Amino acid sequence: MADKSKIGMEFPPFTMVVEKTKIAEFAAAVALKDSKEEIDLIYYDEDAAKKAGYEGIPVPLTFMTSCFFWTDGLMGIVKALGFDLEKLLHSEEEYEYLGQIYAGDVITRKMKVVDMYERGQKDRPGRFAEVTVLETELINQRGELVTKVRSTMIER
Amino acid sequence: MNLTSDNINIGDLMPEYTSAPITRSHLVRYAGASGDFNPLHHDETFVRVIGLNNVIAHGMLIMGIAGEAIVSWTPHKYLRKFHSRFLGMTEPVDWNDAENTKKRATIVVTGKVVKKYEENGEKRIRCNIVAKDLTGSRKLDGFFIVALP
Repeated sequence: MADKSKIGMEFPPFTMVVEKTKIAEFAAAVALKDSKEEIDLIYYDEDAAKKAGYEGIPVPLTFMTSCFFWTDGLMGIVKALGFDLEKLLHSEEEYEYLGQIYAGDVITRKMKVVDMYERGQKDRPGRFAEVTVLETELINQRGELVTKVRSTMIER
Repeated sequence: MNLTSDNINIGDLMPEYTSAPITRSHLVRYAGASGDFNPLHHDETFVRVIGLNNVIAHGMLIMGIAGEAIVSWTPHKYLRKFHSRFLGMTEPVDWNDAENTKKRATIVVTGKVVKKYEENGEKRIRCNIVAKDLTGSRKLDGFFIVALP
């Protein structure tokens, strides 16, 4: 059961470089393709991306969830927040795109626990869940907030 | 035809997008690409310990497929928001029984424009989406918001 005293808790910030080859690898993975030659050119060819109106190679829509796994990973979160791993489910994910993230950008991730609450009634198993909402801000090397991610985890 | 705010209206449908049948190889590729190495998604012996018959796809892979559906219709740079709620597990194809298992592993994404409005000086639409497999089982629902020229 999640530890409700953790509402408002901020995880240590983490800074990473968005690698060009990782973008192509991810784009191929979500397109269910075997190689980058089969994906949209904007995800690996800078000239093609610029022709399509981007300043560089953009990251795929759901790419930035990866930075979660390159840092604390799921187990880091489980330990920090006191989750019961066997009951834990990823319930919702939302991205708010305030700017673009391009290959080569240096992104700082700031993640915090914004809410923890109970949903449903305890005497109705199957309908009851404990909800934890994490909010992640992704800030580029110029200090611009480029994407906000809201992740909802539930224990049931 | 290029998508603009003049040629899109409430009730319009996003072109239906059908994925390839998801294989275990796709799950391993996504695990490597995303860094999500939860054994639930690739280790058959682990899932049996916890009482499942098969490895299951990452929910975020299904959201990624829904993202593919979206950007195959509207350019990536127009996106302002993308929300998904995960509803069900997806099992990959069993190659030793491909005919009977392809449907459960094939994702179909559909969407419908539900709102057209102005915000932050931009012409925006909200489109609700659903991802189901070919047996009709729902995997996720959600919405996206795009700003159109």
